[in-house]
Amino acid sequence: MAEENVTFTLPDLGEGLVEATVLEWQVSVGDVIERNAPLVEVETTKSAVVIPSPKAGRIVALHAEEDRVVPVGDPLVTFAVTIGDDAPQAGIVGKVPTEEARPARRVRLKPPTD
Amino acid sequence: MTELIDRADAAAETPALELSMQQAINRALRVLLAEDPDVLVFGEDVGALGGVFRVTDGLQKEFGDRRVFDTPLAESAIMGMAVGLAMNGWRPVPELQFDGFAYPAIDQIVNQVARMNYRTRGSAPMPITLRLPSFGGIQAPEHHGESLEAIFAHTPGLKVVAPSDPAEAYSLLLQSVRSDDPVVYMEPKARYWDRRPVRLAEPTDPIGTSRIVRPGRHATLIAWGAMVHKCLQVAELAAEDGVELEVLDLRWLKPIDAAGLAASVARTKRAVVVHEAPLTAGLGAEVAALITEHCFRDLAAPVQRVTGFDVPYPAGPLEPQYLPTIDRVLFAVQRTLEY
Repeated sequence: MAEENVTFTLPDLGEGLVEATVLEWQVSVGDVIERNAPLVEVETTKSAVVIPSPKAGRIVALHAEEDRVVPVGDPLVTFAVTIGDDAPQAGIVGKVPTEEARPARRVRLKPPTD
Repeated sequence: MTELIDRADAAAETPALELSMQQAINRALRVLLAEDPDVLVFGEDVGALGGVFRVTDGLQKEFGDRRVFDTPLAESAIMGMAVGLAMNGWRPVPELQFDGFAYPAIDQIVNQVARMNYRTRGSAPMPITLRLPSFGGIQAPEHHGESLEAIFAHTPGLKVVAPSDPAEAYSLLLQSVRSDDPVVYMEPKARYWDRRPVRLAEPTDPIGTSRIVRPGRHATLIAWGAMVHKCLQVAELAAEDGVELEVLDLRWLKPIDAAGLAASVARTKRAVVVHEAPLTAGLGAEVAALITEHCFRDLAAPVQRVTGFDVPYPAGPLEPQYLPTIDRVLFAVQRTLEY
């Protein structure tokens, strides 16, 4: 399936913060990462936070070295993501429920005599 | 309206479309925006993004940012704005992004939306339909899975509905938005991706009617939203044991179809009500009371309730332990059969 490069920029981590310092990358170029897996730890003036990956894909480029200050909106990471995939995507939070072909059960019933 | 009816007729004649519940709701919103220039769709991320569940996808592009627009992240303001718009003749269809975010808007919903018609002796009706992605099943974080139906059903002035499949979602939304009363339309998140052949149809059943989704003779399972699907799975498994379960989709949680409940349980003599909300003072208690009032002499066993537990809705990984399971419903059925 075809791939497409998607660049993720540093989001506003809350309350109008304008920048963050990259503390530690949790991935390297070439890694394949799941959506919501830890991507990078950054420090703002308020706290250190781990940003989860917004995408599932292969890491193509990391745009900031550790200890560098990145302004909000500047490129952080580029992913190669698979496109043309019709699998349903969950929203920003949560998972798409999976359906068992035959649901598991343990309880057996006895039909009523009436 | 003529064009709409033509469209509905065309849908009935053409083969069913493969649609998810998200897409069915999206199509209903398109019909509503097209048929009535007073319909407005707004909420957090419903415009440019198309909704976090893609339900409002493409609507802003098609109808413009004066009819479909993003709001600040302020649920009380979203509902307060709906009240003001309704008083000025609009037909607002606000979305609160997740059920847990309805709590900050409860003041507007209970004190204004629900009461305005009563307070003004009918001179300011509130034709508002609050779209509320509801219930659990997607393992989301806290505040992203709640079952608020009992709170809303308990509030005089509100109607409450929870569709269970794409076709129902379509027709019930048309009905809700066209109603001049405020309706809380609870979308079962866990069923958003439920794709099936759908015949889009105009609503035919009156507001406040339930429907039998599977006939049976040994007991009636009563559910709404995502639990209807669970009960259908249970009925399928029970059939392997020679037990024929009827599944009743209550769908309207206010007003409740007491006559429909009574007609089913009078035949099957046993009833199990299944919901995701906690047990105590949940809507299952209301259903059990109605059945007891209407079918006391017909009942072969006390009405059973299979529900969430009396704890806060758990986040993510604990959800499967909280939500009613197939085995818990089967146990309850067995209790009614053995009573």
